[in-house]
Amino acid sequence: MLLIARFTFKEVIRRRLFLAVLLLSIFMLGGFALLFNYAVDHTRVPAGIDPQLYSSALGIFAIVPIIWLAYLLSSFMTIIMAAGMISGEVEAGTFVVMVPKPLRRYEIVFGKWLCHNLILGTYTALLFFGFTAIIYWRTGYWPEQALNAVGMLELGVLVLLALMTLSSALMPTTVNGAIALVLFISAQIVNVILYIVQIIAPDKVQTFRDISIVINLVMPTDALWHGSSYYLTPTTALNVLQQFSMRSPFVGTEPAPLAMIIWAVIYCVVLPMGAAWFFQRRDL
Amino acid sequence: MPQESPAVEVENLRKEFLAEGLSSPLMNRGATGRTSGVALQNLKVYHQLVAVDDVSFVMHRGEAFGFLGPNGAGKSTIVKIITGLVKPTSGTVRVLGRPVDDLEMRRKVGYLPELPNFHRWLRTREFLEFHGRLYGLHGATLAKRCAEVLVLVGLEGREQQKLGAFSKGMLQRIGLAQALLNRPELIILDEPVSGLDPVGQSDMRNILLRLKAEGTSVFLNSHQLVDVEMICDRVAIINRGKLLKIGPPQSLFDEPLTVELHVDRVSDELLRHLGSLSLAVRQVEDKPSHLLVEVQNEEQAADIAAGVHDCGARLYMMIPHGRSLEDLFLRTIGALRHDQ
Repeated sequence: MLLIARFTFKEVIRRRLFLAVLLLSIFMLGGFALLFNYAVDHTRVPAGIDPQLYSSALGIFAIVPIIWLAYLLSSFMTIIMAAGMISGEVEAGTFVVMVPKPLRRYEIVFGKWLCHNLILGTYTALLFFGFTAIIYWRTGYWPEQALNAVGMLELGVLVLLALMTLSSALMPTTVNGAIALVLFISAQIVNVILYIVQIIAPDKVQTFRDISIVINLVMPTDALWHGSSYYLTPTTALNVLQQFSMRSPFVGTEPAPLAMIIWAVIYCVVLPMGAAWFFQRRDL
Repeated sequence: MPQESPAVEVENLRKEFLAEGLSSPLMNRGATGRTSGVALQNLKVYHQLVAVDDVSFVMHRGEAFGFLGPNGAGKSTIVKIITGLVKPTSGTVRVLGRPVDDLEMRRKVGYLPELPNFHRWLRTREFLEFHGRLYGLHGATLAKRCAEVLVLVGLEGREQQKLGAFSKGMLQRIGLAQALLNRPELIILDEPVSGLDPVGQSDMRNILLRLKAEGTSVFLNSHQLVDVEMICDRVAIINRGKLLKIGPPQSLFDEPLTVELHVDRVSDELLRHLGSLSLAVRQVEDKPSHLLVEVQNEEQAADIAAGVHDCGARLYMMIPHGRSLEDLFLRTIGALRHDQ
C-alpha cells in the first residue's frame, strides 16, 4: 500500500498539475497579501473608534469569506485530482500490468486514497494557515479555535475524497467528476435556497430544512463548512449573528452537530472501503 | 515425490458479459448460440454475451503452450481470467497449482499484456524498479535484475529515457522486461510481437526459445502462427468462446503429408510400387519426372525413398510440401464458419 502511495505521489508531482496549482495558490496568497495590505493601509478609521479594535473587526469581517474561498479551492482541487484516481488508470489500461502483480487490489485503492489524503490535506492546511496568517499580520485577528476550524475543513476534504474514491472505482472519470461537482454545488445551493425560503415563505422552512438534511447526509461538505465558519468567528460576532433567527447560507452560528461529525467520519471510512470492495470485484 | 502441479489448469471456464445492444431477430433466435436473454423489439436491451463457453485445458510445466483463435474468439478473456484481471462467471482456474488470486503464485508469474499501456511519465529505470518492488525485489538484487532484463530485451543504455518517448516496439520490449523481472516460472504473453519490426520479432522469438530452454513455462497467445509453430509444444485453437482443438501441432494435422519426388524416369512399376507404399500417387502436370506422393507421416516418406531405389530409379530430389499451422488454423476456423 505504501509503495502505491509513494508511486502516486511521484505521479502527482511529475504530472505537474498539482505543482501548477500549488504555484498559482502561492501567487494567489501573495496577491491577497498585497491587496489586503493595501486595503488595510488605506482604510480610514472612523473617529472615536480604537484603531486596534477596528483592525480586528476588519480581520473578523475578512476571514470567513477568504477561508470560504480556500474551502472552495481545496474542494475543486480534490475533485480535479481525484476524479481519475482509479478510473483514469482503468481507462488508460495501466492497471493491466499492475494488477496481476503480487498485491491485493485494495492495496491499490487505499494506497492512492492515502496519497491523495496527504496531498490534499496538506494543501488545505497550507491555504488555511496562509490566508489566516496574512489576516493576522495586518489586523492582529487570529481565530481562537483555528485548529477546530481547519479540522472541519480537512474533514470536508476527506468526505469529498471518500466520495470520489468510491465513484472512481465504479464510474468513468468524467462521470465521476460531474457527479462530485453537482453534489458539492447542490449542498451549497440548498442552503442558499433555504435562506431565501426563510425570507419569502417561512411556513415552508421545515420542508426545506428536511431536504437540506438529506443533501447534507449525501454530501456533508457544506455542513462541515458551516461548522468551520463557526470556529472562525469570535463569540461576540456569533452573538450578534444569533440574534437573527435565520440560518445564513455561508456562515454557521452553531458548531457542526456531533451526529454530523460522526456521520462524516463514518462516510470517510466506509466509502473508500466500498471502493476497495467494488474494485476487488470488477473486471479490468 | 509429489507430482508437480500443472502450469495452468482451466476447468469448465465460462465468462458472460453484460452487453448493451438493440434487440434483433438474430438475438431472438439465438442463432449464434452466444447470447441469451429476453429481447424486446426495437428497444435497447442488455443481454449476456458468452465470451468463454465451458473451456477446459491443462498446460504442463516447462512447456510452451500456444493459444490460437481469430479476433473476438475469447482468447484474451481467458488470458485475463488466468492473470486475475477478469473474474470468471463459473469454472475454476489454477496457476502453478494455486488459485489466481494467490500472491505467492503471482510472484512466480510474468505477464505481458497485448498492446501494453504504461505510465509514460516514468523513466525506464523507474518503471522497472516500481514493477520489481511490486514483485518484492529490493536493493542490489533489484538493481542487478533491472540491468539484466534491459540487456535481455535490447534496451540497455536507455535507463533514463521516458517511456513517453518510446516507440510501440520499444514499449513492447520494456513490457517484456517487466514480465521477466521476477525470473518467472510461468510467463504469459498476449500478442507479444505486435508492434515489433522483423528484427524485434526475431529477438522476441529468440528470447522465448531461450526461456523455454531454461525451463520456463510459456503461455503464448498470438496471431503469429509461424512463431507459435516454432516455439510451442502444444497449441489450442479457440473460436467463439469454445475450445476446438488442442494438442501438439503435428498431431492436429489430419490431412496427409504430400511429398514431391524428382526421379530420373517414371515407370509403371515405380507407380505401382509407390502406390502400394502410400495413400496416393500422381504425376505432376508438365513435369513428367515429378511425382506427388501422399503419405501419412514422415516415416512413410522414408519408405518412399527406399521404394524408388528398389525399382531401380534414381531419386534426385524429395521435397515435403509443408503442412503449416496456419493452414490447419484457417481450415479449422473456416470449417466452423461453413457449418454455421
